[in-house]
Amino acid sequence: MSMSFTADKQTLEDLNLLGRFKPNSIYYLFSKIKTTGGERLLEQMFQQPLIDPDAINKRSATFRYFQERQLSFPISGEQIKLAENYLTMGGGSGLSFILRKKLHAFLNDDGYEKLCAGLVATIDVLRTFRDFLQLLPDYEEAVALRKTLSDISWLDNANDFSIMTVAQYDRQLRHHHQAAMEQVLEGIYQLDVYITVSDVARQRGFHYATALPAFPAVFRTTALRHPALPAGISNPVSLDENANVIFLTGANMAGKSTLMKSIGVALYLAHMGFPVAAADMEFSVRDGLYSSINVPDNLNMGYSHFYAEVLRVKQVAAEVSAGKNLLVIFDELFKGTNVKDAYDATLAVTAAFARYHNCFFVISTHIIEVGDALRQDPGIQFRYLPTILEGAIPRYTYLLREGITSDRHGMTIIENEQILALLKD
Amino acid sequence: MLFTTDKQTLEDLNIFGKYGGESVYNIFNRTISRGGASLMEDMFRHPLSDHLAINRRSEIIRDFAQAGTVYPFSAMLFDAVEPYLSNTDERTKLSADDQSISKKLADMIAADGNMQMVYKGVQSLVEILQGIQSFISGGEGGAAYEADRNAISTLLSAPAFSPVLAHRGKLSHATIAAYDILFRFRYREAIQQLLHYLYYLDVYLSVAKVAAERGFIFPAALARDTCKANVEGVYHPLLKKAVPNTICITAENNVLFLTGANMAGKSTFMKSLSIALFLGHMGFPVAAAKMEFSVLDGIYTTINLPDNLGMGASHFYAEVLRVKKIAQELSMGKHLFIVFDELFRGTNVKDAYEATIAITNGFAGKRNSIFVISTHIIEAGEVLKAQCGNVHFVYLPTRMEGLRPVYTYMLENGITNDRHGMIIINNEGILEMLAGGLTKMK
Repeated sequence: MSMSFTADKQTLEDLNLLGRFKPNSIYYLFSKIKTTGGERLLEQMFQQPLIDPDAINKRSATFRYFQERQLSFPISGEQIKLAENYLTMGGGSGLSFILRKKLHAFLNDDGYEKLCAGLVATIDVLRTFRDFLQLLPDYEEAVALRKTLSDISWLDNANDFSIMTVAQYDRQLRHHHQAAMEQVLEGIYQLDVYITVSDVARQRGFHYATALPAFPAVFRTTALRHPALPAGISNPVSLDENANVIFLTGANMAGKSTLMKSIGVALYLAHMGFPVAAADMEFSVRDGLYSSINVPDNLNMGYSHFYAEVLRVKQVAAEVSAGKNLLVIFDELFKGTNVKDAYDATLAVTAAFARYHNCFFVISTHIIEVGDALRQDPGIQFRYLPTILEGAIPRYTYLLREGITSDRHGMTIIENEQILALLKD
Repeated sequence: MLFTTDKQTLEDLNIFGKYGGESVYNIFNRTISRGGASLMEDMFRHPLSDHLAINRRSEIIRDFAQAGTVYPFSAMLFDAVEPYLSNTDERTKLSADDQSISKKLADMIAADGNMQMVYKGVQSLVEILQGIQSFISGGEGGAAYEADRNAISTLLSAPAFSPVLAHRGKLSHATIAAYDILFRFRYREAIQQLLHYLYYLDVYLSVAKVAAERGFIFPAALARDTCKANVEGVYHPLLKKAVPNTICITAENNVLFLTGANMAGKSTFMKSLSIALFLGHMGFPVAAAKMEFSVLDGIYTTINLPDNLGMGASHFYAEVLRVKKIAQELSMGKHLFIVFDELFRGTNVKDAYEATIAITNGFAGKRNSIFVISTHIIEAGEVLKAQCGNVHFVYLPTRMEGLRPVYTYMLENGITNDRHGMIIINNEGILEMLAGGLTKMK
């Protein structure tokens, strides 16, 4: 078994998970962090989802705790930046600045002034943080942090900033208490992440998923939507060892890809202990997540779209047959070939994967005949996203239904553009 | 009517290439002068749509290619002339009495850049004028080039140029000053017209040289309205081991329906044919054994349509919009050469099947244009065979040698019956892998 939850580059791109500067990414949704250290921590959490259900539940409990308290981060971005710069300042000692100040008092050297400002800001941050921790009686990490801060006995009395006392405080904070300061900064960063993420959850109506052991395999939610679509329609999704495949049909714009992405994103966020865009959710931990939604053509290497898809399926088959517990998402496999081969290939591949009851599969296609051929397989759930035609205008409900649909709109799109009429005259 | 094309087509056919890499333009561009290079680029951007103009240009180039004529000027001459002529500042004129002792002394210490520019410019132009004079009096170029020869001759016959043409030996400072006024100011217009002819000559000789070296042939352009393209042994000029193919397109079979496996060479064939027709409309030689074509009003290819966005329906929609744009051009009565590689590959096979039939059927109604459509949806071909009489079915075959596919790259008539989808999946061992994993886990 792997030691961490895996989602490869293609999957991360399909689901648009990462990307601090991509305005539509899932990361961006949560990226309201105030401190650079907090940003680093958030990035780390996104890079390494957890696989231990206890660790996941512990983290999500902490988020929930903060969400219930509705606290706002007590330290301004300006203050924390000054303190960070001061505490991580190179050169080891502020003594040289102080000596220079004494020797060349008449010279214009702002090293000392900067040192002073950083020190004052840091003392202010430490006091604020200490007071804030009082508000979190049940926050586990607060105990150690409170103890550390109370060891700095002079913190409340530091009001006089003469050259001699500055030298003293500076030495204390940046040498004597160096390890403690690192611990405090880390504590502040964590707090930043907890408050920010739980704020997003509150504002967007996200909830926390419960992580369960890998066996028996389940994934259950009564109402799941896409986190980046605030007005998105929710749908129930339920997978377990006896019903491990969702066979999804529907027209192009009916919302198949969005639904499949919602499932993938929820599972990924849940493994991070993060809030998910669902009313409720429980899931057994997985070893990873693979999707094939927008397979890049890689025409440079002479690969056709079809061959690129075959290679992607092969890669997933290797992981599945190695015994990993995965969620696999295949959106409209085997484009770029003829109808017969697309049918044969979709059927053969779906049937072969479906036998892995330890894995979950969500597979969409337009080839409804494949569904007819798979009807007898009890492990396969047939679901579709409907289209309602109002005259020639298609309307979509985005509400998942049981069964198979033959809705397609390729020709409707062509007819709406009136291309055939253009060619007639 | 102007010959029209678009960015997508230029990129598909690699006419100009990216970042100075290989391109069709680079094959032909052996021009000496910068003016010649930019004139050639202009010809690539604006192919001709009049068969007389096309044939005239191609005859000029053919005659030069046969004679093996060499451009009589070096790049250095133009490097001196171009900045010189572009400087029209009156203050840079040389004055005849500028040769005072002090000036000479000053020049010994640091040469005057302006004076050097004028000196070199005038000396080079004298050389160019004399050179072109002897080039045309030697009767270089065939009958088609006669109009140009006469025009150059008329320009040179201006009395003011006769001392220039007769001059021998070193030019004195006073002479240079006098010629400078002649070239840059008084006869500026005539000099520029002459250079213009020299740039054309540069392009002709550059293309002629390439044609002779590579064995390219000169197609015959026929009048518009006949809808004809007879292309024998056409191949891709940018490929090393290109396989030639022959195709004959008439109004009775003006829709080419091309099938074949992915690696069988469909795109390469479509590009070869498109490039040949593109160059043909420029009056340039082509990579073929023989070719004649009726003049068209434009060429639009859709071979590598970029699919940005990554939203489900977007690639299909991009294709639909591209088809619509072309349908609009066709509905204006234009005669076009249209290429679609893997039409509707951006959507599911079922929609692609229906759409391919409907659109190909629509195209087939336009008898004055030529269409080449490639697709994987071989099932669509069967339906079209029954519906349209003017669809010509061709395919590029795959031969299986054991499990290894081998490609001939030679067009054959009909629709391929290669179904390689499952073969590829089986070759990759995906189903065995999944079956094997299951037994291991039990």
